[in-house]
Amino acid sequence: MWKFIVRRIIITLPQILLLSLFVFLLAQLMPGDALTGLVDPNLDPAQIALQRERLGLNNPWYVQYYDWITSALQGDLGQSFRYKMDVTDIIAQRLVNTFWLSLLTLIFTYMIAIPLGITSGRFNDTFRDQMIVGYTYVGFATPLFIFALLLLWLLGFNFGWFPTGGSVQPGLTPGTLDYVLSKLHHLILPALSMALITTVSTVQYLRSEIIDTKQKEFILTARAKGASESRVYNRHIFRNSLLPIAALFGFEITGLIGGTVFIERIYSYPGMGLLLLESISQRDYSVVVAVVLLFGIASIIGALLSDIILSLVDPRIRIK
Amino acid sequence: MTSSKMAKLLFALMLFLLLAVVGCSSGDDDATGEDETPVEEEPGDEEEVEDDGIYSIDDFDPVKTNEGEAISGGILNFGLVSDTAFEGTLNYNFYSGNPDVQVINWFNESLLGIDENYNYTQDGAATFEVDEDEGSITFTIHEDLNWHDGEPVTAEDWAYAYEIVGHPDYEGVRYTQALSSVEGMPEYKTGEADSISGIEIIDEKTIKFTYHQFTPSLLASGVWAYPLAKHIFEDMEIGDMASSDAVRQNPIGYGPFVVESIVPGESVTFVKNEDYWRGEPNLDGVTLRVINPSVVVQELENGNIDVVDSFPTDQYPENAELANVEFLGGIDNAYTYIGFKFGSWDADAGEVVVDPDAKMADVELRRAMWHAVDNDTVGQRYYNGLRWNATTLIPPSHPDYHDDSIEAPLYDPAEAERILDEAGYEDLDGDGYREDPDGNELVINFASMSGGDIAEPLAQYYMQAWEAVGLNVQLVDGRLQEFNTFYDRVEADDPDIDIYQGAWGVGSDVDPSGLYGRTAAFNYTRFASERNDELLEEGLSEDAFDIAYRQQVYSEWQEYMVEQIPVFPTVYRAVLVPVNNRVHNYFIPQVPGLGVYRNEIALTQEEPLSVSDVD
Repeated sequence: MWKFIVRRIIITLPQILLLSLFVFLLAQLMPGDALTGLVDPNLDPAQIALQRERLGLNNPWYVQYYDWITSALQGDLGQSFRYKMDVTDIIAQRLVNTFWLSLLTLIFTYMIAIPLGITSGRFNDTFRDQMIVGYTYVGFATPLFIFALLLLWLLGFNFGWFPTGGSVQPGLTPGTLDYVLSKLHHLILPALSMALITTVSTVQYLRSEIIDTKQKEFILTARAKGASESRVYNRHIFRNSLLPIAALFGFEITGLIGGTVFIERIYSYPGMGLLLLESISQRDYSVVVAVVLLFGIASIIGALLSDIILSLVDPRIRIK
Repeated sequence: MTSSKMAKLLFALMLFLLLAVVGCSSGDDDATGEDETPVEEEPGDEEEVEDDGIYSIDDFDPVKTNEGEAISGGILNFGLVSDTAFEGTLNYNFYSGNPDVQVINWFNESLLGIDENYNYTQDGAATFEVDEDEGSITFTIHEDLNWHDGEPVTAEDWAYAYEIVGHPDYEGVRYTQALSSVEGMPEYKTGEADSISGIEIIDEKTIKFTYHQFTPSLLASGVWAYPLAKHIFEDMEIGDMASSDAVRQNPIGYGPFVVESIVPGESVTFVKNEDYWRGEPNLDGVTLRVINPSVVVQELENGNIDVVDSFPTDQYPENAELANVEFLGGIDNAYTYIGFKFGSWDADAGEVVVDPDAKMADVELRRAMWHAVDNDTVGQRYYNGLRWNATTLIPPSHPDYHDDSIEAPLYDPAEAERILDEAGYEDLDGDGYREDPDGNELVINFASMSGGDIAEPLAQYYMQAWEAVGLNVQLVDGRLQEFNTFYDRVEADDPDIDIYQGAWGVGSDVDPSGLYGRTAAFNYTRFASERNDELLEEGLSEDAFDIAYRQQVYSEWQEYMVEQIPVFPTVYRAVLVPVNNRVHNYFIPQVPGLGVYRNEIALTQEEPLSVSDVD
């Protein structure tokens, strides 16, 4: 078991290194740089040229990559040109927001998926099941960003139940109860709109798992033993169906990353996704590279987690 | 001016969706509204306006009409419309542009006041005396002007800003002509000198700057008038200043409001500065929030925000009748233009090299192309009249310098054809396109930027208009260029580009040499001539300290550019700012010299005023 995990981690390292090179090259290929946007007659072009030289933007890419990767390995991701502060500091600032958003989204996702999946699997082909399956189809078909805008308009602007942007009400002191509550209040709508869409695959998955499991022979045995229906479902079927879902947990993280990019933009929620979009449009290379790399690493780790959980659940897939 | 294809695309998509959503909502509102009170149709003008959907900048005022009684106190909600979070470099000496400056303007300001032509006046926090013989200006800072922490703003603070921004270790972008024209500044910047010889501190509140380039530009917003609080920054390394707490968390100024708290990138709260030198502000405070452009209309409707820094003008026609809001309008100091490529940039010599054989070197061809396009219709069709035909290269945002008596070529395709015929551009092979006077095929390559819904049809319009007079104009690469690529290629004098469509924001000083001078890197057309050099130089000469003479010179320059046509301006544009009806004394900050200041802003009621409150 441990052998497998260690081997899996060793494979991950070159993956990340390759990813960093790839990401860096892609960023280099973007037309323009952090200074192209400053087409402003009030600024002195000679100063801008000087800045380019100072920031090393005129060096060949391999020199830039070497400079960057050596300091990145020491935990220094460079300076953001736009923010004029360390990239690690900006990311730290934003990561907290995205972390809470993702966490709440995950909680919502499972809070919705588990009861719906169980109901739908247990009473398959009934009206209830059809309603739930109907919802999942609509969920599959609805693009996240349209749905999020719709919810924002409906619950945010029309009913005014939720704030329509930002991560916290201006003017509150960090650490107070009001502050925490306000943060939570700002989180609910974005998290909910993302969860309602991303949950549908989990619902479907759980449903088919349950339908599959309940036809297995050990369930027949349990029934034959005289176990009550609720015991059959709660002890036998549910537990067995949940294991593959748990294994998918890692992939959920990957999915969340894609989702946050849209959600954070729509709700002006200053997290990593918004940071990524902003830094791309402003050609803030050091930030783009760092954020994409972090997203990449998160995905790789997500896959790693899934593999590990899966191998715990199902010994057959352990690689040799 | 930053933009990107992806952001624009996403924005366009959201805008579209939002409009769809808005469409539904207003429908609903109308329905319920009719149930309760029948809406009386107001006959007359308004109907007509709605019908043709064309607006004119003349109908807008840059200052809010005040209705009702103002109360004292209250919190103003300011929306910073941006699809990016603000960067948080909250100091004039370190910031790199919008949106940060929108935050800074609430708690700090220039020491010098300006009139409607951006010339300095004596009603700022500092007054000045000019000594033309010596080439120096002596400034006196207002006695009661204090930093928010109570320390006086001193001459030393002002000099300190020059010492920091001019320092070799300084990494920002604020080192410009405004600083480098001070005597001894270039030597200080290169590290040759330890101090700046042209700055003399006379006493605590008086400072004298001596200039080695003493030009009229100095008095037209050409002085760096943003002191840096020395008592706060003096113990820091220069490289650390921009990321320090004194810039990012607890920024300091001497403006009407004091920063109370900052949520990085998304909001700032301000409280009033009771010690403000113009007098205590009416408001208790201001809350600034970043608002995504796609929801700005909803936020205004609900009264969640009272004013915004800028409003996407393409959303105006849909929302012109918002009941709880008055739209203020002013002329933007910018213009869109078509530029012709004349040569290349010699980076070593630092000047443009004109190629006399360039494809667009014939002025008659350029004039014909100007005659061929109908910019008034462009403004009406694509921008609902919020952009309109431009005539000269100094926009009417500088009212004393813009010369509207100059007769620029107007839309006249017949005239265009006549000019081309006379100049020898004739269709010899019968393919419908004219050949050049030597009988060679003439294909003009046109570069235009992508972004927004209008970019594509507008470029197509121009190409069709030119085709109508027999000119074969093709898009470079057959498509629009993304913003960064566009400027990269225009800047590098890509031989594939013959003409391009761009836009310039003009600086506060009217002097155009930064855009059209022989040694200006931003002179993207690479046009230069002796007459042009002469006029530009004249505009900065000593004689030009006389405003009337300066106007005369720039009038001649505008005329000269209309004759030579290195570029031709297409449209001028309006800025619109919606202001909630509960706000008094608000003004468009982009329009200079209105004589209204932020401490005078007041509210008529504490609670927000939404559309439903008004109906």
